[in-house]
Amino acid sequence: MALRDIKPTRSELINLKRRIALSERGYKILKMKRDGLIIEFFKVLEEAKDSKSELAEKYERAIQMIAFADTVEGSIGVKSAALSVHEVPNIALASKNIMGVVVPEIESSKVKKNLVDRGYGLLGTTSAIDEAASAYEDLVESIIESAEIETTMKKLLDEIESTKRRVNALEFKVIPELTEARDFIKMRLDEMEREELFRLKKIKARNA
Amino acid sequence: MAEVSSGPVPYVYVCTRMRVRKSKLIPREDYLRLLNMGLPEITRFIEETEYKKEIDELAPSFQGIDLVELALSWNLAKEYQQIQKITPGTLKEFTRSYLRRWDIQNVLTILRGKTQGMSAGKIREVLVPAGELDRVFLDRLIKEETPARIVEALKGHFVYPVISQGLDEALEKESFARIENELYKQFYEELLAEARSGFRGGKQFLEYILLDIDFTNIRNMFRLRKDYRDEDYRSMVVPGGTFSAEEFQHLISTGDQKEFIGVLKEKVRLKPLIAMLDMLEGEKSLREIEIELIKVQLSHMESLSKLNPFSIHPILTYLEKKKYEIFNLRAIARGKDVSLPVERIRSYLVM
Repeated sequence: MALRDIKPTRSELINLKRRIALSERGYKILKMKRDGLIIEFFKVLEEAKDSKSELAEKYERAIQMIAFADTVEGSIGVKSAALSVHEVPNIALASKNIMGVVVPEIESSKVKKNLVDRGYGLLGTTSAIDEAASAYEDLVESIIESAEIETTMKKLLDEIESTKRRVNALEFKVIPELTEARDFIKMRLDEMEREELFRLKKIKARNA
Repeated sequence: MAEVSSGPVPYVYVCTRMRVRKSKLIPREDYLRLLNMGLPEITRFIEETEYKKEIDELAPSFQGIDLVELALSWNLAKEYQQIQKITPGTLKEFTRSYLRRWDIQNVLTILRGKTQGMSAGKIREVLVPAGELDRVFLDRLIKEETPARIVEALKGHFVYPVISQGLDEALEKESFARIENELYKQFYEELLAEARSGFRGGKQFLEYILLDIDFTNIRNMFRLRKDYRDEDYRSMVVPGGTFSAEEFQHLISTGDQKEFIGVLKEKVRLKPLIAMLDMLEGEKSLREIEIELIKVQLSHMESLSKLNPFSIHPILTYLEKKKYEIFNLRAIARGKDVSLPVERIRSYLVM
């Protein structure tokens, strides 16, 4: 706000004082929100670390198991068994609120299946297929869990970033400018008062 | 070659040929050598053995592990078809019936591929026409547009009744698992009926079928126990063997592994199997148990073929050993392709 655009009036001063008080209140609240979000973020970060290492572990195992199944059954056997799977996992998406941030809550079903429910026959396959299928089911479950945590983390980060920007804007731009404008009006009003006083004194002296 | 159609001579002839073929199978030392080779060397080694024709034929279209794997399954199919041609009389019937398990696998693969919308070429790559249904017939099935038409085309074949009965349910549930299990059960049922029908050599065939049923059931009990839930598994048993449906269910639900093995040992009579089960009381993975079971089954088949040198046993022993040769070569090539440690690949081999 350029100082030359400001009208040095008493009503403007009152208005500015109100705005400063509001900005300072907003600044305090946003600062608390930012700190709260950071605490939440660190909690989710811990979960994300665990889930990421678990995901990497399960991915490693799934790759090993499919290599094992390929080795034992050949790609022909594995492809033939893979053709049996029709049912896709069901994913239910809900949402929850963390300090005003809406984050997803993912619930999955029909991922982990019983040997009998997998779609391939027991009598035409071997345990290599069971182990590969089971490893991939674990991996899919882990991916879904990670997706929830990572999305929560991303949304929290975005919110922290925007809150931080608002806090900084209030702290370094809005409040200092308003304070400067208030001081300017105060100074200008004081000056005008002094001028008025001086003018009155001059008139009084001329009349005397 | 003189054609001999009756008397014991054809049996002697075919069994001798099987013994010759068996002697040409890759020995243990070669597998150990192969374990130290890279994939190109393995391909070359395979090309220098019985698989040269298939490798040469497929080399322009495939390479690397796909070439090896496809060449191996083509060779297996060709070998099995040839054996069906050279086996005489009732042995031919028995062999043909035994190889029908490949028809089940191929037909189900086509049905599954079609319902998943896979291309004809992709389905064709996954088939191993080692059974009664040859490549031409399987190609015809692939060309059919709907699963219902595939089933219609199978009219007259042994898989038709089971598939036609269960197709609607399978399409509705999008799962062919029940049909697959029923087909294998029917397959064993028909083998048992054929072996008991009074044909010459049926007794030896029956001996093998019962052995195979028992090993299949034992293998499946181990698998189901690993993934046990309180469900009815009685429909999973292959009937006709040592284990009744109730015993099968009871053994699967037996909580303790030691107790399970104890009951199993009481039920089975085969000494090498009992000795193997004794060794299982320690911690072993499911795959290791399966490999041990296969080894015991093969070694018992070998003894049977020595006891009955001019029967179905030498033929079945060769067919099984050939299958596991393919299995071993594929395991080594695949294992090398995905850089599995040598010791791990070695543990998968049936030697």
